[in-house]
Amino acid sequence: MSFLSALRSKVSELGLFDQANAEKKPSRDELFRDEFHLPESQTIQIDSAAEVSLHYNETAKNSQDFSSPTTSPLVNGESHVNHNDVFWSGRLFLTEQYLIFKDGFNGRDFNFTIHLSTIRKVERLPSKSYVFGLIITTFSGLRLTIQFIGIRSNSERFSLLLKKSLDTNLGCVKQLKPFLKTLYSEYLMFKNSPAGQDSDLQIPAGGLGLMFKFPGNTKKLRDKSKMRLWFEFMKVNGRNLNIVKQEMFYKLIRVGLPNRLRGEIWELCSGSIYSRYENIGIYQQILDDNADKTSIAIEEIEKDLNRSLPEYAAYQSDEGISRLRRVLTAYSWKNPDVGYCQAMNIVVAELLIFMSEEQAFWCLCTLCDKYTPGYYSKTMYGTLLDQRVFEALVEKTMPILWEHITHNDIQLSIISLPWFLSLFINSMPLVFSSRIIDILFLQGPRTLFQVALAIMRVNGEKLLKTTDDGSFIQVIKNYFGKLDESAHPTSKNETYRQITNFQELLVVAFKEFQDITNDTVKSYRRKHKNSVFSNIESFIKRTQIRNLPKLPNLDTNNLSNIYDRFYQVLETDNIQKGTGSSLMNFEQFEKFLSQITGWVIVSNVADSKNQEEFLHRLFVSWDSEFQGGLALSDVAIGLNKWTYNDLMSMIKTFFDLYDSTGSGYIDKEGMLQMSEGIIYLTRPLREGWVFDSITQREIDQVIAKRMNEYKKLLAENPDNEDVISPPNLTVDEQFYRHRQGERYLSAASKFLQNCFSYARPEQEIDELKTEDHLISIHDDDRKSDYGELATEEYIDEKDKKKSQSLKANKALDPDHPLAMDLPTFRMVILADESYELFFGEILASSIDINKPIKNAQSHFNIRNMFDTLVADGRKVANEVRRRIDDVQSITSPTASTFKRSRATSSASKHQASVDEEEDDDFISSDVGTTDTDLLKGAEVNVLNESKDNAKEKEASSA
Amino acid sequence: MNAKSSTSVKLVLLGEAAVGKSSLVLRFVSNDFQENKEPTIGAAYLTQRCTINDRTIKFDIWDTAGQERFASLAPMYYRNAQAALVVYDITKPQSFIKARHWVKELHEQASKNIIIALVGNKYDVVENEEEGSEDSKRKVSIEEGKQLAKDEGLLFFESSAKSGFNVNEIFMAIGHKIPDTSAGAASVNDNRNSERVDLTVNNDSPVNGNANCGC
Ligand SMILES: Nc1nc2c(ncn2[C@@H]2O[C@H](COP(=O)(O)OP(=O)(O)O)[C@@H](O)[C@H]2O)c(=O)[nH]1
Ligand SMILES: [Mg+2]
Repeated sequence: MSFLSALRSKVSELGLFDQANAEKKPSRDELFRDEFHLPESQTIQIDSAAEVSLHYNETAKNSQDFSSPTTSPLVNGESHVNHNDVFWSGRLFLTEQYLIFKDGFNGRDFNFTIHLSTIRKVERLPSKSYVFGLIITTFSGLRLTIQFIGIRSNSERFSLLLKKSLDTNLGCVKQLKPFLKTLYSEYLMFKNSPAGQDSDLQIPAGGLGLMFKFPGNTKKLRDKSKMRLWFEFMKVNGRNLNIVKQEMFYKLIRVGLPNRLRGEIWELCSGSIYSRYENIGIYQQILDDNADKTSIAIEEIEKDLNRSLPEYAAYQSDEGISRLRRVLTAYSWKNPDVGYCQAMNIVVAELLIFMSEEQAFWCLCTLCDKYTPGYYSKTMYGTLLDQRVFEALVEKTMPILWEHITHNDIQLSIISLPWFLSLFINSMPLVFSSRIIDILFLQGPRTLFQVALAIMRVNGEKLLKTTDDGSFIQVIKNYFGKLDESAHPTSKNETYRQITNFQELLVVAFKEFQDITNDTVKSYRRKHKNSVFSNIESFIKRTQIRNLPKLPNLDTNNLSNIYDRFYQVLETDNIQKGTGSSLMNFEQFEKFLSQITGWVIVSNVADSKNQEEFLHRLFVSWDSEFQGGLALSDVAIGLNKWTYNDLMSMIKTFFDLYDSTGSGYIDKEGMLQMSEGIIYLTRPLREGWVFDSITQREIDQVIAKRMNEYKKLLAENPDNEDVISPPNLTVDEQFYRHRQGERYLSAASKFLQNCFSYARPEQEIDELKTEDHLISIHDDDRKSDYGELATEEYIDEKDKKKSQSLKANKALDPDHPLAMDLPTFRMVILADESYELFFGEILASSIDINKPIKNAQSHFNIRNMFDTLVADGRKVANEVRRRIDDVQSITSPTASTFKRSRATSSASKHQASVDEEEDDDFISSDVGTTDTDLLKGAEVNVLNESKDNAKEKEASSA
Repeated sequence: MNAKSSTSVKLVLLGEAAVGKSSLVLRFVSNDFQENKEPTIGAAYLTQRCTINDRTIKFDIWDTAGQERFASLAPMYYRNAQAALVVYDITKPQSFIKARHWVKELHEQASKNIIIALVGNKYDVVENEEEGSEDSKRKVSIEEGKQLAKDEGLLFFESSAKSGFNVNEIFMAIGHKIPDTSAGAASVNDNRNSERVDLTVNNDSPVNGNANCGC
């Protein structure tokens, strides 16, 4: 992949992100899903205040009989309310597939997430009780009493909806059993149940650690004790898809997860377990569907496979490498906008130590979406943004250190970048980075910031002594190497002495920086987003423009405008279609050209066929890669060809457009189409929307003539100046419009006539070609050159028309086919004054790429479209004015006499002394003195009315 | 003893992937050449001290690494660099195009007086080829490199991290151009003169001469 194409895709992606993030407030459902890590599919069906208690049901505690689904969800059972149970009050939510509760205190004291397919029984609390309540039992023996609070009807509705949802989820229950087989927690519980003792239950597919040993010393890590604690916890609180989380849950994670359960708790905390449950088999399917394909991402993945935690045994084996390859590859297909980014290899290598491929895959998806947004994108905007956020947080929390860092020009963000990008995995030993990831999945993105800040804080004293990047990095490197050593080696207190650097780091991170919440991170990201984004944008723009070929007709300013317009047109459509393409399709092309040319009109009804044909032809000829879309470079190169300032080049550009095979000749059909093309392009002139310079010259001459006559009159009658009207400087526009239209119409017919009479018989040309050893091109080949555009319809239409015109015109006698070469075409154009002018000046100036995008936002209209040409027209008008002024200044004695005497005369007429100053101001003058003829003249006047102008008129009326 | 002055120079390496940036640094810092397996995320940091005319120069080297998409991080790296090595591979024309890009980028965006050396690496590959031979592996001529260097006011070298050819010279030449901050008075012109002298003296490589051109 070329640098250019890479950057192209970056831009489109950036545009997407920018607009998607136009600060729209997340909906309640989105916030809810985020809080409980639920998949996109879930929305709140109903919620209610409730009190909940957990009742440990001894009889069901080790039951593995989860094959019998909920058959009668609502039965009136005997009271299970044990009055010793603690009731937690909070809010209960029902989504399509989950029942969720959150305590009202801090949401962490007691909450649960239960997939409906795990519910085996729902009983109604005895009706004699004054409360409305349910008892819910899940397959793992979790037994929850729920008492609804609030109006009875809502409670009834809740339970009705719950019943309905349970019914619709009956299908899921079948999937539950095989899914549970993929979970280590189930294996653990069953193995330790009486039934499990003598059964040959298989360990679920898990991480590479099961095969290659987990990193670190399991004894030292006290994995066995941790495992027992989890076992006890899960016996009471359930697990995986039906779990109650109480304080113990968080504690167990903070002390570090046992290796064998780690993967499952990661997916539980991140919520990727829910995506996996919802998408069973999809991972394998993505791999199968793309089995034989290759991509740039795959090539890049391949290069890094041997560089991903190479010190870990599994990654010196085929097994480990293949798993890594498969997960990274599957992700690159799942999310082609990201594809593959270096550092993902390291992250996935870590995940795969503790997770099966499928687990790791879904976990990676969730990680990239929710925890490290934009980190691995093609612009890596998330990485850049979070480094900026980190710097801002250092500045806020450790101002002295920050001051030191900036003073010494230490590049903190460069140093911290790999921590964030690879979740500390490559920076510190695996046993420690794994524990940071434990907490990351539990607490969200703030974890990375808290740990990074704690690293700064803990090493603050030493860092303040460093004065350059090198020594700064060295301090941190040394520190990472000593994480397992005592933080207080010299302390007399034994327990104090046993605290390791790593433990201290976590304490500092989560105690001292507990104020850094996920919301803090979000708000800092919002704050710095714009500046980071505009930096990236301008970098990409610079790069793309620099990578364009040298284009003599376009300066940097033009290119910058083309770039802006190109992506503006693309982005709006990208949002709608959700694609990340950086190619312009035909509709976008039409829109693009409508903004910068005088001839393209979106939804052009009057001339749609000609426009369509011409634009398709243009589109295909600009599509250098034949990919059905135009890249920025295609558009720039194309525009360059159409903005030559000289006649000959423009004639060639036009000729080449119709000589699509590059044969150097245009056949009869081509000539007809050329003629139609020119007719289309000259429509604004034919319809008189704008005057060309020939018409302007005519107008100019008429006015100059009137001026001269006036001068002559003045000279001949120096005493009668009062009665001589100054010349009328307006013309009958309608007349000239019509006249110009006629001229262009006759040019069009003359063009075809000339083509046919100057073109040579094809036979001759064929002979010429063979002489020149040119490959002769058959008619069929030419047709196919209409490419994908050559729909049946198109060709049919053409053929019909062809035969019609053939009959009508003798020159098109099919027995004598003709062809025209460039010199002939040139001659034909030069034979007509209007067409010569059109190719020499008007065509190039009808494309305006000087206008920056801001001024062009207004909606398309004819005025706008002809701005350039109108401006040119004005130039001519001004020219006329200038000449008149010249005339005046040449005859200045006369003029001044005229002026003075007029003042005198007007004074005498009105019997009042009128100031010359006032006299200049025609608006303040008496309207009654202006006759209606004059008003008419003023209305149709195309010229800029100036004071002088009005003064003259006024004088004439006086 | 001489009152030696010490200057530290932040230097960044830019260029297409696999042109030999890391290898050049390794050669300069450890006089070694090997396939590096270390995955670098973002950029690797290395330092090397050397003495030029009684002056100790400490190079703080940021060796940028990674895929294409890491290019958007580049501004972070060159932001306050005093020197840059823009490296291309003389057997890969595409890498020269990219070098051109980096030079422009630096001139437009980096600090005004940044000293840039353009380096065409992997000279060893073409070392024993006959000049202008038909199937030469060389795809970027030395003239093209020189021309770009001349147009843009860069130091220019062809080098080989593998053989060590010209590697130290690159850093020496940069060191010479670094103004002596502690001495203050040392003029740039003086440095230029001494640079030429030094290069001729130090250049003991068998294929000397044509490859270096301190512009
Ligand atoms: N023949 C030859 N190979 C080189 C030279 N420098 C680097 N290489 C090889 O080119 C590849 C890329 O080198 P590396 O330093 O990693 O490039 P980087 O991506 O720019 O850092 C490695 O296989 C190196 O062994 C050189 O001067 N000559
Ligand atoms: Mg490298």
